[in-house]
Amino acid sequence: MNAPTTLLCSLAMVAGIAGAGSAGAGPAPAERGPYASTYEPRSTEPTMITGATILTGTGGRLENASVYLVGGRIAAVGAGLEAPDAQVVEAGGLWLTPGIIDVHSHLGNYPSPSLPATADGNEMTDPNTARVWAEHGVWPQDPQFPLALAGGVTTMQILPGSANLFGGRGVTLKNVPARTVQEMKFPGAPQSLKMACGENPKRVYGARNQSPSTRMGNVAGFRAAWIEAGAYRRKRAAAEADDDSDPPDRNLGLDTLAGVLDGEILVHNHCYRADEMAVMIDMAREFGYRIAAFHHAVESYKIADLLAAEGICSAMWADWWGFKLEAFDGINENVALVEQAGACAIVHSDSAHGIQRLNQEAAKALTAARRAGMTLNEAEAIRWITLNAARALGIDSETGSIEAGKAADLVLWDANPFSVYARVQQVYIDGYRYFDRADPGRQPVTDFDLHQTSRGSR
Amino acid sequence: MTMRANVGLLLVLVGWPVAAAAAGVAIVGGTLHTLEDDAAREGMTLLVADGRIRAVGENLEIPPGYERIDAAGRVVTPGLIESYSQMGLMEISGEASTVDTHVAEFRLGPGFDVQYAINPASTLLPVNRRDGVTRAVVAPAAGNDPLSGWGAAIHLGDGPVLTHPRLAMFGSIGWQSAEFVGGSRSAVIQRLRWGFEEARSFRPDRYRSEHGDYTRQDMAALQALLASGAPIVLSVRRANEIAQAVALKRDFGLPLVVHGGAEAWKVAGLLAEQRVPVIIDPLDNLPEDYDQLGARLDNATILWRAGVPVMFTAGTSFNAGLLRQAAGNAVAEGLPWSVALAAVTRVPAEVFRLGGGAGTLTPGAAADLVVWTGDPLELSTWAERVMIGGAWVATESRQTRLLERYRQLDGDEPFGFR
Repeated sequence: MNAPTTLLCSLAMVAGIAGAGSAGAGPAPAERGPYASTYEPRSTEPTMITGATILTGTGGRLENASVYLVGGRIAAVGAGLEAPDAQVVEAGGLWLTPGIIDVHSHLGNYPSPSLPATADGNEMTDPNTARVWAEHGVWPQDPQFPLALAGGVTTMQILPGSANLFGGRGVTLKNVPARTVQEMKFPGAPQSLKMACGENPKRVYGARNQSPSTRMGNVAGFRAAWIEAGAYRRKRAAAEADDDSDPPDRNLGLDTLAGVLDGEILVHNHCYRADEMAVMIDMAREFGYRIAAFHHAVESYKIADLLAAEGICSAMWADWWGFKLEAFDGINENVALVEQAGACAIVHSDSAHGIQRLNQEAAKALTAARRAGMTLNEAEAIRWITLNAARALGIDSETGSIEAGKAADLVLWDANPFSVYARVQQVYIDGYRYFDRADPGRQPVTDFDLHQTSRGSR
Repeated sequence: MTMRANVGLLLVLVGWPVAAAAAGVAIVGGTLHTLEDDAAREGMTLLVADGRIRAVGENLEIPPGYERIDAAGRVVTPGLIESYSQMGLMEISGEASTVDTHVAEFRLGPGFDVQYAINPASTLLPVNRRDGVTRAVVAPAAGNDPLSGWGAAIHLGDGPVLTHPRLAMFGSIGWQSAEFVGGSRSAVIQRLRWGFEEARSFRPDRYRSEHGDYTRQDMAALQALLASGAPIVLSVRRANEIAQAVALKRDFGLPLVVHGGAEAWKVAGLLAEQRVPVIIDPLDNLPEDYDQLGARLDNATILWRAGVPVMFTAGTSFNAGLLRQAAGNAVAEGLPWSVALAAVTRVPAEVFRLGGGAGTLTPGAAADLVVWTGDPLELSTWAERVMIGGAWVATESRQTRLLERYRQLDGDEPFGFR
C-alpha cells in the first residue's frame, strides 16, 4: 500500500463501497443449549482505518495510527500498516476507541415507549425469581437500541430489575438490529445472575408485609436459597455419579443458582452501601461463589482496598446520588478512587439516556479525579467503559480493546470522546459498519419507528 | 457583631484568604462573558463591591483594598440558573418524610405554594453551588390537579435563600394530568379553561364549589395569577397539546412558559409568533411515552432558529450542575455556544423576572459569577470560584467531606475521626 494520503476519500464514499460489498448473514451457528445465540458476524471486506488517534482500551494511546480489519477481526494495529487490497477509511483528525460496553442496561426489557404493555424487566411477584431470564423479555424493536448505537454502544448486558433478592438471569447482547433476541446474543458470553441487596427488596416486599422487610431478611433470604441450591447441586451430582440415585426434579431457579456455584453464571450484585458489600462478600465466601461486580456501587470508594483484594469490579455512575438514602453518600470521585486503589472500575448507565453518552459519563468521572488532584488520563479512563466492562462480563478475550486478534468492535469519533462536543461518526461490530452518521441509510430504524409521524416518517 | 466581622469569620471557616473580606473584588483578565451580548471579552477587569457588579472595562483602575483575582486562562460567566427544579423541597427523593414537592391526597391544587417548605440547610444546595449554580427556580411537582401551585426562586448563597415567592404558577398538560381528571387529555384542557373562566369573576363570598370543582383557595390563586401577570409554566410535551397551552395563553392573557416541550420543535413557529419561552432538557430524546414520540436531540436548535427563547433544565435537583453538560450537548447538536450559555443564565432571569440584572455581569447586576477553569460547557472543566451576591461561597459540601475522609484508606486513625 502506498502512503495513506494517496488513498484519501470521504467517509461517505467509503461507506457506500463497504455497503455494496456486504453479504447477508449465513445460517445460524450450532451453539449448544436452548435459546442459543444465532448471531453471526456479517461478511466484510478487509478494511484499513488510517490516521486516527487511538485509545486502545488497554491504557494505551496511539497517534496517527491505523487499524486493519480482516474478517471482522482486528488483524493489526499500529503506524505504517500496509494492505494494498483493503478499503480505506481515512480517519485523520478522528478518534478511534473500542466499542462501548454497558454492563448495566434494561434496553428491550424496559423499552420506549414505557407502558404497562412494555414493562418486562422486573418480575415483582417473589423475592426469589432466579428462574426468570432477562432475554425472554427483550423486545428487539426497542427504539432505544439504535439510540445507544449512535452513542457507540456495541455490547450491553441486559439485567432484570432490582425488586427481588434474586432478579433472574442477565444476558449479554450485541447491539445489532435483529428480528429475534437470539440474533443479538453475544456468542459464548456467560449468563449472569442479578442479585440486589439493600432498600429495594425490603421496600417492595416489606410493603406487602412479606419477607424480606429488613436488611436482615434480605440476607436470610439469600442464604436460605444458597443452602437449597447447594443441596440441589449435590443431589444432581450424586445422580450423575450413581445410576441408582434419583436426580432432583428440575427446578429453574435452582438451575440458575447451581450454575453460579458451578462457576458458569456470573454474579452481578446491585449493592450501594460499602457495609452491605462486605456482607455480600462474606456470603459469597460462605457458599463458595464469586461476585463478578457490584452494580450501583456508590460507596465502593469506602472499601476500594477490599474490592481490589477480592478482585471484584465496581460498576458505578459518574455522579448519581441522593435519590435513596443508600445513594446519599455518592461522590463524583468514586470511580477514580476505585481505579487508584487498583480495583476494577466500570462506568455503567442503568439508563436509556446514560447509555447514549457513556463516554460523557466517563469524562465527568475523569474530571472529578483531576479536580481532586489525581493523575489520570483519557487512555486510562476509556477502560471504564470498554475493557473493564468486558472483563466483568467475561468477554474480555473477545472484545473491549483494540488489539490484534480481537473482534473489530470499534467507534470512530469526530473529536476526543471525552469532550461534550464529540459525536460518534461510525460504529463497527465485528468489522461491519452498523452506524454511519454521514449515511442515513446506515442508521438502523426499528419496526416501531416506521411511519411514526411524530418521529418523522421513515 | 458587625456584618463585616460576620463575613470575615465565615471566610476564615471556609478557608478563603482573609483578603477576600476586602472592600471589593477585581477579576482581571481571562475570557469574560457578560451576557450583555454574545461577545467573549478578553483582557477585561470586572469590579465587584457591595454585592454588585460595579464596572467592566479595559485597564480599569483597581481601587485600594480590593481583592485581586487573576483570571488569566480562565472563563468568567454569570452564575448558572436552573430553570426548573425541586431544590430545597427534598433531601432524599425516595423518602416521603423528606419530600415537600407536591400535595397528593388533599384538595389543594393551584392554591398550593412551595415557599414555606424551602429548606436553606438542604444538602443539595452546597453540592449544586460547588458546580456553579447560583440561582434556581423551585417548582411544585404534579400533585392531584393539572395545576400544582405556586413556585419560587432561590439563590444558593449563605443565609435565607428565598428571593422570589409566588414566582410563577406551575402545572402540566398530558397523560399524567389526565389521570387527575378522569383519564382524558381533553378533560385537562376543559378543567383549565373552566377554572380561568370562573376566576375572572370569582368572588369568595358567592363561590360554591361542587364536588371536583376548584376550592375557594384554589380559585383565589387563579384569580391572583390573572391579576399578577406572573408566568404560568406548563409542563407539556406533545405538539398538539403545546398548541392547546398556547391557546390558553391567548384566550386568558397568561404569560405562558412551556416546560418539557419534547415536541416543541414541531410547533416552533407558533411558539415564536406567540413569544412563548421554552424550558427543555436537551438530552430528552427518548420516545418514552405517547406524549413525546417526537423527542429529538436538536429540539433546542430548531426552536432557536425559529426565534423561540430557550432555557435549559438539568432535570435533576441533585446535580443541577449538569446544566453545563445539557448546554454542551445542545451546542453539539447545532445550537450556537452563546445561545446555550444564555439558556442557563440571562434568559431564565429575564423570563422569570428575577430583576436586578440577574443572569448578566453588567454594571449594577447582582454579583453572581463563576470563574471556570475553561469552557464551562465542556466536561473537562470545573468551577474554581463561585460568587453569590458579591461574596465568594464555600465550595465544600457533604461530598467533599466524604472524599477527604476516604481518599486515603490506609492509616491508623479510625475513619470516624478523619
